[in-house]
Amino acid sequence: MKGVQTLKISISGVRGVVGDSLTPTLLVKFAQSFGTYTNGGTVVVGSDTRTSREMVKHAVLAGLLATGCQVVDLGICPVPTVQLAVERLHASGGIAITASHNPAEWNALKFIRPDGIFLSTYQAEELLDIYHQGEFRLADGISMRRVRVEKGALEAHMNAVMACLDVDTIRRRRFRVVADCCNGAGSVVTSEFLKRLGCEVITINDTPNGIFPHPPEPVQENLTQLCEAVVAHGAEVGFAQDADADRLAIVSDKGEAIGEEYTVSLATELVLGKEQREGLPARPVVVNLSTTALIDDIAAKYGCPVIRTPVGEVNVADTMKREGGAIGGEGNGGVIWPEVHYGRDSLVAMGTVLQLLAERECSVSELVASLPKYHMQKLKVPCTSEQAQRMLSAIKARFASHRIDTRDGVKVSFEDGSWFHVRASRTEPLVRLVVEAKTEKRVNELIESVQEYLGAEEFAKPTFAG
Amino acid sequence: MRSLLPWVGEELGMRASQKKDFSSPKRLQNKTHLENTPQEPPEAGAKFSIGGGKRFAFGFSQLMKPLKLSMMGVRGVIGQGLTPELVVDFAQAFGTYVEGGTVLVSRDTRPSGDMMRSAVLSGLIATGCRVVDLGVCPTPSLQLAVADRPDAVGGIAISAGHNAVEWNALKFVASDGKLLNSYQGEELLDVYHLGQFRGARWNELKAVEYDDSAVERHIQRILSILDVERIRAAGFRVAVDCCNGACSISTPRLLQELGCEVITINDDPNELFPHDPEPNPGNMSQLRALVKASRADVGFCHDADGERLALVTEDFRALSEEYTLAIIADQVLSRTPGTVVCNVSTSLALEKIAARYNSNVIRTRVGQAYVVEGMIASGAVLGGEGSGGVIFPKLHYAHDSMAAIGHILGFMAETRKPLSALAEAVPSYFMIKEKIYCPPEQVYSVLQRIRESVEENPHGAEVDPTEGIRLLWEDAAVHVRASITEPLIRIISEAQTQERAEELAGLMIAMVQTCL
Repeated sequence: MKGVQTLKISISGVRGVVGDSLTPTLLVKFAQSFGTYTNGGTVVVGSDTRTSREMVKHAVLAGLLATGCQVVDLGICPVPTVQLAVERLHASGGIAITASHNPAEWNALKFIRPDGIFLSTYQAEELLDIYHQGEFRLADGISMRRVRVEKGALEAHMNAVMACLDVDTIRRRRFRVVADCCNGAGSVVTSEFLKRLGCEVITINDTPNGIFPHPPEPVQENLTQLCEAVVAHGAEVGFAQDADADRLAIVSDKGEAIGEEYTVSLATELVLGKEQREGLPARPVVVNLSTTALIDDIAAKYGCPVIRTPVGEVNVADTMKREGGAIGGEGNGGVIWPEVHYGRDSLVAMGTVLQLLAERECSVSELVASLPKYHMQKLKVPCTSEQAQRMLSAIKARFASHRIDTRDGVKVSFEDGSWFHVRASRTEPLVRLVVEAKTEKRVNELIESVQEYLGAEEFAKPTFAG
Repeated sequence: MRSLLPWVGEELGMRASQKKDFSSPKRLQNKTHLENTPQEPPEAGAKFSIGGGKRFAFGFSQLMKPLKLSMMGVRGVIGQGLTPELVVDFAQAFGTYVEGGTVLVSRDTRPSGDMMRSAVLSGLIATGCRVVDLGVCPTPSLQLAVADRPDAVGGIAISAGHNAVEWNALKFVASDGKLLNSYQGEELLDVYHLGQFRGARWNELKAVEYDDSAVERHIQRILSILDVERIRAAGFRVAVDCCNGACSISTPRLLQELGCEVITINDDPNELFPHDPEPNPGNMSQLRALVKASRADVGFCHDADGERLALVTEDFRALSEEYTLAIIADQVLSRTPGTVVCNVSTSLALEKIAARYNSNVIRTRVGQAYVVEGMIASGAVLGGEGSGGVIFPKLHYAHDSMAAIGHILGFMAETRKPLSALAEAVPSYFMIKEKIYCPPEQVYSVLQRIRESVEENPHGAEVDPTEGIRLLWEDAAVHVRASITEPLIRIISEAQTQERAEELAGLMIAMVQTCL
């Protein structure tokens, strides 16, 4: 692999291939930049299970300590655990070490601000400026701190989620659950969390060794093993986490992957219903532009508005915070419930889904059948950023007469409720296309109508929309 | 000095109440005991008088960073020259040099130890090394562990030894447990400067291993070469100042094994150094007070990582650090005559001692690696440096202050003589040590000018070019050299009278000033 193609330094953090572009020297400098950015405050560090975690972590610790930071090391834990710990410990920031859905040879740093949300675009620009300037804060040999190892973060995370759930209702149902942790960060907490919710838990791939048994993206084609296990164990539900345990996909009691768009949809169903029962005023649901229209149907049922944001956790979280969102997230399986915190959280997703099943006294398949049915396709086109620019302009011009949203690429919505969204990826050199409609036929029509502008005779195999 | 002792007393009282009990069966009973001690401590270092070097203590120049990269490793001031990028790169260079094998890592107790350790671990792991972290432990314990472990290809000790708390350093250990020799050190520097390091792929990275048994194994090895029964029978009362360094736990353990009654100060590895960790009389007033107050038979003063040692006698005199090697040489050579290897800066007393036992002294450049090279080449029975480091080849080729403690106690038990009597047998010399701060880009041209000057006019002395310039008279010497660890020029003069030593130091200071 060529170093230039395997390193991505952007406002989403720094991401690269271990043994190639992601060197300890580079990581140390980024950690020093962040330590300088926080002015030597308290910084919480946690990692997923990748084999490179110790190399990356120690580079990060060295860089942070050198700038005078008080470092709190959480060890292996989900990304949302780091986000919550930053808030709980009143830290100046956090660094999560994970390349989330990227393959095992990748790793990355994600930077968290004091409110537990990732750096926003302009904050990330400031961090990059410090990095490029190369002038870091330097602590001396007397005031430099030692690393503080914090063991209680997982416990605190579980408690924070359970405090927002109706735990008794969930426990009474005594769910039989299969959890696939993909040998990722979920391995260290998921089984225990589900047991505390009174579940009988069967775990697969829960060795936290970073050897992913399948690509660490909770999408349909990676869930075969889980689907089989759900059937084999006669479980009521199967949960699949990604490598850093912020996102979740669900398998039904019939052993079918219901699609990751349903995760945020079901969580929304629960939370809006709960708020209505409690007599709270209708609050908005916040999701990104690529998330299923099912969200609009659910929100309408409860008389709540839906706010759409550009793709990216920080965009959703910041909007939620500003607009007082009740619930939301992203269609890729990321649920954000502000009651707990402003971070995508697979524990929150599991808890809300289980509570919904318990309250409705129904199965996953019955629940899905009770909701409007949509068809969605997620496609990607490899291209340079210049090509991407051209494609997007062409599409914008072609569909100018339709309802069009250009805050993040181009989203075009049609009278019949169908829509497509094209945008350039921030983490990889490609364009992503998401199409949704009531029928498969309409989905294919839409794909055809966009295809010529994307200059691709054939789309790459459907994959993730991260 | 008047205000010092009461303060020491308070300090001791506080420490005594906080103490864990493993190290000291009997503690200081009360403060009155201390308050009763006379206010004026006796003169330090009766024979060796060490100059303070304050005359030329200029600050570091604006243009110069206190950082030194050499075959001895990398050493610098945290936050000034010694950055995590530099440490990560050096660790990668070492990992590349050892081709990604098993590397042991230790550190002393400095606050910057965690930062250094993380940088070292990250660099080593990235090159595919299996890292074994020994935690806080003496450097000689690490060296022994590397030599003992069959799959270990090297080690990195994170410690600036005797340097103040602001400093830190990496010391590189070869697979045989010795510090890298001069050739290996040069090779490592080449790898570092080339900047092309091994990059292990994700599935070649190895998990860090932890091993906290190195110190215990080190203690057992020291005990195995001592006459433990005889020392135990003597029932010594021993005072120790661990400087809150890497020996804070291990030395009390060793002394307990040797049946000593142990009184410790500064044995909390989580605290800052209470004084500079350089074992010399200037840093030993606390220990001297402790020896006096506790009526101990001997006092031992450690550096930060268990390499160097200085002694306090039962009549509470702080001996110059030059005595440590000299006393041990006197005892070792009296039993096994042979070659002693020391550096060019070490006291002339060694030659006189060697002459008593039909033995000889070989002098090398300054630095443990050079002394060890000289010892192996000559099959020496003992080695060391005047700064308080002693090497016992029977144990291993490393400066080892815990081994030195064991041997001193062994000699005291065997000869049934107090330490003051053993010290009395060391020939009397006056030594003056000066240091002159000098920009690193000028150090070697200054020394070259001095070399040219003494070639024209050797002042009636023999000129020894082993390192820097050493002028050697019948019974006196003056030595000028670049520090190998800091950006300064060191001057050491030695003679049988104070006046002569001062005269020779003055001569060399004048030469340096002319050439600067």
